[in-house]
This record gives sequence, structure tokens and C-alpha cells, in this order.
Amino acid sequence: MPSFFDAWLPFIYLYGVGGIFFFSGIIIIKKSGAINLSKKRNKFWLRVMLFGFFYFVALHFLVNIAALYF
Amino acid sequence: MGQETFHNIGTSTDWIVMVAYFMVIMLFGSYFGKYNRSTKDFFFGGRRFAWWLIAFSIVATGVGSHSFVKYSAKAFEHGFSSTMTYINDWFFIPFFFFGWLPIIVYSKIRSIPEYFEKRFSPSARFLATMLLLLYMIGYIGIGFLTLGKAALPLLPENMSILGMHFDVTLMGVITVIAIITGIYITFGGQTAVIFTDLMQGFILLFAGLLLFALGLSYLGGFDIFWDLLPTSWKMPLAKFNEPSSFNFVGIFWQDGVAGSIGFLFLNMGLIMRFMATKSVNEGRKAAAFNVLFMLPISAIVVGNAGWIGKAISLVQPDVVPPNTSPDQIFVVVANIVSSPGVFGFIMAALTAALMSTVDTLINATAAIYINDVHRPIKVWLKKYDEDARSEDKHELASARVASMIITTLGVLAVLVFRDFPTVYEAHGFFHSTLTPPLVVAVFLGIFWRKFTPAAVITSFVGGVALMILGANFPGLLIAPFDHGIRMDTAHPYSYIRALYNLVVCSGVAIIATLTTTGQRKIVSNIKANDNSKYIMYFITALATLIFVGFVFSSSFITLDSESIPEIIVMLLAVFLMSALVAISTTYFIKYDQREKTTGLTAWSIAKAKEMFKGSKVNDEEGEKVKVNWKRKDTDKDLVFFSKNDMAKMKANTGDLVYISDARKWLGGLKSTHSTFGEPHEEDGIVYLPEEHIKQGQFLEDRYLLAEKEM
Repeated sequence: MPSFFDAWLPFIYLYGVGGIFFFSGIIIIKKSGAINLSKKRNKFWLRVMLFGFFYFVALHFLVNIAALYF
Repeated sequence: MGQETFHNIGTSTDWIVMVAYFMVIMLFGSYFGKYNRSTKDFFFGGRRFAWWLIAFSIVATGVGSHSFVKYSAKAFEHGFSSTMTYINDWFFIPFFFFGWLPIIVYSKIRSIPEYFEKRFSPSARFLATMLLLLYMIGYIGIGFLTLGKAALPLLPENMSILGMHFDVTLMGVITVIAIITGIYITFGGQTAVIFTDLMQGFILLFAGLLLFALGLSYLGGFDIFWDLLPTSWKMPLAKFNEPSSFNFVGIFWQDGVAGSIGFLFLNMGLIMRFMATKSVNEGRKAAAFNVLFMLPISAIVVGNAGWIGKAISLVQPDVVPPNTSPDQIFVVVANIVSSPGVFGFIMAALTAALMSTVDTLINATAAIYINDVHRPIKVWLKKYDEDARSEDKHELASARVASMIITTLGVLAVLVFRDFPTVYEAHGFFHSTLTPPLVVAVFLGIFWRKFTPAAVITSFVGGVALMILGANFPGLLIAPFDHGIRMDTAHPYSYIRALYNLVVCSGVAIIATLTTTGQRKIVSNIKANDNSKYIMYFITALATLIFVGFVFSSSFITLDSESIPEIIVMLLAVFLMSALVAISTTYFIKYDQREKTTGLTAWSIAKAKEMFKGSKVNDEEGEKVKVNWKRKDTDKDLVFFSKNDMAKMKANTGDLVYISDARKWLGGLKSTHSTFGEPHEEDGIVYLPEEHIKQGQFLEDRYLLAEKEM
């Protein structure tokens, strides 16, 4: 069984540092007006972007669990 | 224990299948050459395709560039984590969807360096062109190297043709492949590439998944395969900081950050695909579908041969020796688990996918050459033909010649990468080294309005100098960023150097921007002097001399990579040079921040859209309308609908319209863009000028579908 350092640190680092980039992006496009949330289409894309982030978190988490315990 | 290499894998049936496959692909690509009526079509496919068509055509490009060979190699050595880079591209999607993608479409740029001219200055464009050409040609070189490594195990060690006896070498194989690749890209163009890639995307996914199924069947089922692999091999992410040849943190910065931004923001091949979609929204759909669904599937497709190879090597080491050359494992496993003919099909799909990547890159590099070298030089020499059609014909011919020259340079670039232990490490080193200056420049250009031409040029020059210093003094300069990764003296910090390079390029860019007021004060003091021009010439010459000294420093000085005094002197020289470059560019470049940022940064996307249209944007959402078409004798770029049809589309005269053949499965192949002219009274009819009928290749008895764009 890999140590916690090998099993979970890459996961935490990936979504910690990657998350900083991702949410900075969301904040910047919102602040700059590049995404206008009063438009239906832009609201849809904001939901897609957030879904995508958590979709990959879940994907990595599940494969990690499968590798460690199954 | 040395690595075991293979030759002569496959049967004559496999070769027949492979040759037949390639002939079909080349004929298929050549057919779509007829859709190239201008350089716009040759390079961009005429901005007309539906998202699904582009999404699938990107698969072959993406999978080809992140190839079967390199991921299978790492999969054989390290397991599932080999393909972790396929699942880390989402972090920069917000910046791409609502920053870069609308800017490249609405600003109507034809290449990335053109953006640098519009946003900064012609000199920034020149430097960006040089760096981008290096990046693209290097990428082509990596593609050819991979192709050669995939083909080599299929061939004998030597052969005789017409009584001449010669050895089959990697470079020889690559040269032959380059000739075949060059033929259809030269005569096909972007539409040919998109459609060939579309077909290959499907076949590639099928071939990769077929190989996985055959491999599992060979081993006796999924459960046996799963239980055979050790736990560490099933982890989706690599170990944090070891070994130096494959570790999570280094690869995160090299691929997840520099690579992802490079791929989404700088890969002209990919960007041209997005520019070929009919609208920004379709581009977003194509990118989202690709990253969310196609890349995870592709991760299985490209890595599974290595996983299967590892499992077989554990139970049958005589069939797959554990010391098999990693770069050959894909071919070896495919041959073991599939029957003759099927193996030929899988190999054809693999090599064709790699060719897709390479031909996309060649087409894109030719676009950069025409837009950023050929055309500016002709304008400068005053030889630019004012007759647009005649000039376009000349440019199309030059684009084809450029494609051939670029193919040759790509083959030569292989020489730089062939000594790395695997293609994966060569690609990692390439990405870490070439992308950071461009990544930082384009990123800050889009999202930071205060970023000036002086800052971008200083970050190019100063950043590159610091990167060279890092390469010469890795133990002193890159080590503080290494996250505990051990330095391999043969190839020091192949991946984590990306972090160092990003930090130094960003650092120079930020300092140069924040000191803009100081630079302007110094420049105004110099301007007050009678000899201001001579002072500036001296400053520029001195900065150039120091930069040239850095580039060639390791060639004419023996550097002690552990010497702290040496590094201090070098760092002071970089600081001085960067200051001189910043002052020099502030003096020579006229820059109006408002003019140069309007419509070209994320802060003015609405304005960019308005500039694209040429008038106020009409965002009201209307319906699509199905119409018949009739010819109208006019040279104007206008199409004419009935009042009622325009009301359904919520369109006004002067709005932009997209018209396509109503058969959706064509994905926009037969389509055109235009502007609404004055309405008439005949419902269900659109009057089109001859040029639009030819552009859209519309057929007399076929309905068209029209929608208002903006």
C-alpha cells in the first residue's frame, strides 16, 4: 500500500494549485465582464465550467480509491 | 540489463492493410482540397463547421500529439499515471472560453504573432514569430520522432532495393514518412486536414479500445488484469517527486500548467480548428466536449498497450521481456494480442493519427509563415499586390512551398530530441523550455491591460536569458523550485524546469510593467539630451551584445555550474540587459494603451464583438429558418431574406447571418457567412450572390438553414 504522501499528496496538490488557477480564472472573467451572467447562454457556460472542475476531482478521487482498496 | 529492441514485426497481410489504409486516407484528404478557394479556406476552413465535427477532428490531433508511443512507454514503466496529463487541461478553460477564444475570433487575427502586433507592436510580433516558429517546428520534430519510433520495429534491420544494400535507420524512416506527410498537406489544406482527422479520430478511438479488449481477452479478463497489476501501478497520479524521469509535481508544472496553456493558447494547429467553427459558442462546445469526454477516453486508448504489456510481462516474461524498449511496447503488445491484418489495421490507425498531428502542425506553421513573415516582408518591400484575388493566389502557392520547407525543418529538428531516453522525456523537456516565454506573454497580454510592449519584449529577452542561465546553472537556480526532485545530471530537471522558467519570465514581465513610469521618466530625460538618438543606439547595441553573449556563453566560456560568484555576475548582467531593453523599447515604440487594448483583452470582449460586426451587436435570440435559395446578380456581400423570415430570426438589416445546407450531418461543410440585406416579400426564399453560392457549394434542389449570428 503506498504511503499517504504517494497516494494523496499529488491529488491534493493537483486540485489545490490547479484550483487556484481555475477559480482565479472564474473571478477574472467575471470581474472583467468577459462573462455576462445576465445572459442565459453565459450562465450555462459558468455551470459547465464548475461541473467540469468537480467532475475531474470526482474522477481522480474514485480511481484513487479503486486503486487503493479494490 | 540492456533494453531489448524488435525488428520485422508483422506479416505481409498487415503491410497490405496498412498500405490500403493510407491510400484511402490520402484520397479522402485530396477530395476535400476542392473546398480551398482562398488562403482563408486553406488555413482556417472558412469558419463554418459545427462543434461536433471539430470536436472529433481534434481527437486525432490531440491523441496523435500525445501519442500512443510515448504514453504506452510510460505506462509500461509506471502504470495508469502515464496518462495523467490527459486529465489536467480543465484549469485554464475559463481563461480560454471567455478570454482567448472570443479574442482570436472577434479580432480576426490569422495567427498568434498578429495578435502581438495588434496588442503591442510590430517588434513584439517579430519576436513572437521567432519563438513560435521554434515551438511549432520543435513540435513537428517530436511528431516525426514518434512516427519513426513506431515504424522502426515493423521494418527489417537492413534491406536491398535494386541491388543496393542499406541499413534501416531512424532518420531514414523519418525522411520517407515526411515525404508522404508533405504530399497531402501541401495539396489538401485545412479542410482536407479537418476531414481526414475526423475520419481518423473515430478509427483511432476504435483501434485503441479494440486493442484494450484484445489485451484483456489475451490475459483472461479484466479481473485477472486488475489483480496482476501492483497497487502503485493503478494510481492515477504518479509519485509526488520521484523518480526524476517521471514524477507528479514536475509533470504538473510542465504539462498541467505550461503545456495546457501552450496547447490551448499557442498551438496554432488547435487554434485554427477552433477558428474553423462557425461561431465562438460552437468553439466552446467543441473544446468542452473534447476535454470532458474525449480526453479521458483517449487516456485509455493511448496508455492501455503499456498496461497490458506490463501485465503480460509479469505472467509471461518470455513473451514480453521486462526489459523491452519502452518506446516499442505499443507495437510489441499490438502484435501479440491481435491476429494478422488486425495488427496492420491498428498500426495504420496509429501512424495515421500521428500523421494527423504532424500535418495539422505543418499547416499551422505555414499559416504563421504566410501571415507573419511572407506578407509583412512583401508589404515592406512594397511588392504586395493590391488586387486581393491575385495576391491570394500567390500566397496559396507560397503556402504550399512553405509547407514543404517546414516539413524538412521538422525532420532536422528530430536530431535535437533523438538522444532522450524516451519520446516522453524529449517532449517534456521541449515543453518546459520553449513554452514559458510565450505562455507568460500571451496570458498577461490578454488579462492585464497595464502590460506594455516594453514589458513583453523585456520578458522575451530577459526571460530567455534567465532560462539559459537556469540551463547552465540548474543546481543553483532551478534547485530551489525542485520540490525535492533529485537532479539527473544527464538531463537536469526535464519537467520542473518549467516552474523555474515560468517564474522568471513572469517575474521579468511584472517588474517591467510595474516600473513603466520610471522607464518613461528616464526616456524623457534622454530625449531632452541633444544626442538622444546616439544614446539610444548605444543602449540598444549594448543590450543586444549582452543577449548574444548569453545565448552563446556556454560555447565560448567554460562555466562552473556550481560557482556562486559566476552566477551573481551573470544575474547582474541579465538585470542590466533587461533594464536597457525596457528603456530602449519605451523610447522606440509608440504605444497608446487605450487603442491597443480595446477589443484585445478580456476586459473589452463586448467591444471586440462590436468591432467584429462593425456595428452595434444584436443579441436577441431568434429561430433558425429553413429556406430555398435563388441566385442574385450582385457583387455585394449581402443576402436577402423576406421580412417574415427576418422577424423569425429576430434579425435586422446589417446583422450577420450564417447559412448552411440543411443536412445537419454535413456539419457545416457546405455553408457561408454574410450580412442581411434589405428584406423582400417572398417567404421561404433567400437571394444569394454567385460568390456565396460557390463558397457554400450549395446545390440547386437542397434546402438551406439560416440563423442570425449577431
